[in-house]
Amino acid sequence: MDSPPPARRDPAMDPPAAAALMDELVEEVLIRVPPDDPASLVRAALVCKRWCRHIAGASFRRRFRELHPRPPMLGYLYRRRDGTDFVPTSSFRPPHAVREGWRVLDARHGRVLVLDAAELYETMEMALIVWDPVTDDQQSLPIPQLQPFAWNAALLCATVGCDHLDCRGGPFLVIAVTTTGGTEFGGGPRHHNGCDGIVRRVHGALVGNAIYFNYEMSTKILEYDLGRQELSTINLPSAFHGWQIVLMEADDGVLGFATVQDSKLCLWAREAGVDRNVGWAQRRVIELDKLLPVPDYNRSASLDAYTIASAPFVVAVADGIDVIFLWTDDGLFSIHLKSSRVEKKKIGEFISDLGVVPYMSFCTPALGRLDR
Amino acid sequence: MASAGSGDEKAAAAAMITLISSDNEKFEVTEATATLSQTIRHMIEDGCTDGGVPLPNVTSKILARVIEYCKKHATAAAGEEGSSSSFSDAAFLEVDRAFLEELEEFDDAFLEVDRATLFDLILAANYLDIKGLLNLTCQKVADSVKGKTPEQIREMYNIVNDLTPEEEAEIRRETQWAFE
Repeated sequence: MDSPPPARRDPAMDPPAAAALMDELVEEVLIRVPPDDPASLVRAALVCKRWCRHIAGASFRRRFRELHPRPPMLGYLYRRRDGTDFVPTSSFRPPHAVREGWRVLDARHGRVLVLDAAELYETMEMALIVWDPVTDDQQSLPIPQLQPFAWNAALLCATVGCDHLDCRGGPFLVIAVTTTGGTEFGGGPRHHNGCDGIVRRVHGALVGNAIYFNYEMSTKILEYDLGRQELSTINLPSAFHGWQIVLMEADDGVLGFATVQDSKLCLWAREAGVDRNVGWAQRRVIELDKLLPVPDYNRSASLDAYTIASAPFVVAVADGIDVIFLWTDDGLFSIHLKSSRVEKKKIGEFISDLGVVPYMSFCTPALGRLDR
Repeated sequence: MASAGSGDEKAAAAAMITLISSDNEKFEVTEATATLSQTIRHMIEDGCTDGGVPLPNVTSKILARVIEYCKKHATAAAGEEGSSSSFSDAAFLEVDRAFLEELEEFDDAFLEVDRATLFDLILAANYLDIKGLLNLTCQKVADSVKGKTPEQIREMYNIVNDLTPEEEAEIRRETQWAFE
């Protein structure tokens, strides 16, 4: 070690010494800026050249991700009648938050999958768009004709063995399933046949090496094994239908789902049973009456019969960070399961094709040529 | 060492280490307290602690605070490390919720220091390689950056802006969202 700074005897405030410390240990400090506050990190990069180089450097990005093993929720995609909005839940703001004509389908590993509905209406050609809300990069994917209401699609990183902490610019895979089979894009389309029913348009769940989708009116769910490239179905616990549940990854990495029954939020997970049969077990029950505000029935009267009959219900689960989105008579709420914190979301009216897709990603600023 | 049975406490009490600050003040601490510092742990393992451990980068004022931290956290560490520690008493393994809460309160109170002391604690934690203390003190500084403008951060930490106006303009253009 060359010339370590002499020990300071003066206990009074010593600003130049403070600056010296910040030189030496600035990275140690800056990797501890909370990952859901990327704006503070960007502003810190403007303090001086040294801070900027640290924050923009590859070593900083690596250490930041090691310290914060789960990507934070930067916001969620909200599918409204004529488009999709990115609604921030962090200090991150995308360059373009309001996307007219887009219908969000899924988001995973830093990117968002949308259906380009404007293109569909104009040219009758179906196109999916893969969008990175942080960089605003987008890529259009023409796809074979799918039956308008009977399909769903999922997006994921295509790199085998990836830890998905920094793969937003890498290869991706889009899985589309229809009533008559599944199609995979990326390495050339492949078709998989043999599943009937209407696939429900809530975002699918990636658990282990398989993607899971709901059916609308069925007691089964659809499993697409990414390794074997095979489709199969799994029975839900009796008395559950696909339209009631949102699939999720349970905290120990098995397939689970969230549902609301009698004003209780119920979390289920698949568990190994006797004779190697896999069954389901209810893992957790949360009384919503104690968490959610009492519904305003005057306001509820203006909603359609469907919402009144079924609210509250689960609309999305943010995998890995234990946040559940619920639609209630009073609108959209998020519940943080660990802290039981409830937040009301400021979004517009209920629509029958309501869609909420949480967006989890790191956002360490790429600072152009200054990161060299 | 001759006494067998419940000799853990005695053995620990016997293993005292002397730490010597930059201003030559001596501090007697138990080995369990001292070995929260990886730097000191390695010195003990190498058998270089006879006659005391000189710490020329740490003043007595800061060393006293660091020892205060280590004493409090040594019991928690003993619980985490389990049987590998010299503290194998079952009582220490039961790090219950109340104790963790108390530890958190201690940490919060511990951080109520002026900025110069906080920075000296970071330097000491880094030099002595005390992960918990480094994390605690660096987190405090990281939290202070929240919501501040670059100008405010520079002022807080007396940092000179050496970015050229062009560089600054370029970053601002690329990351406009963070300034709205």
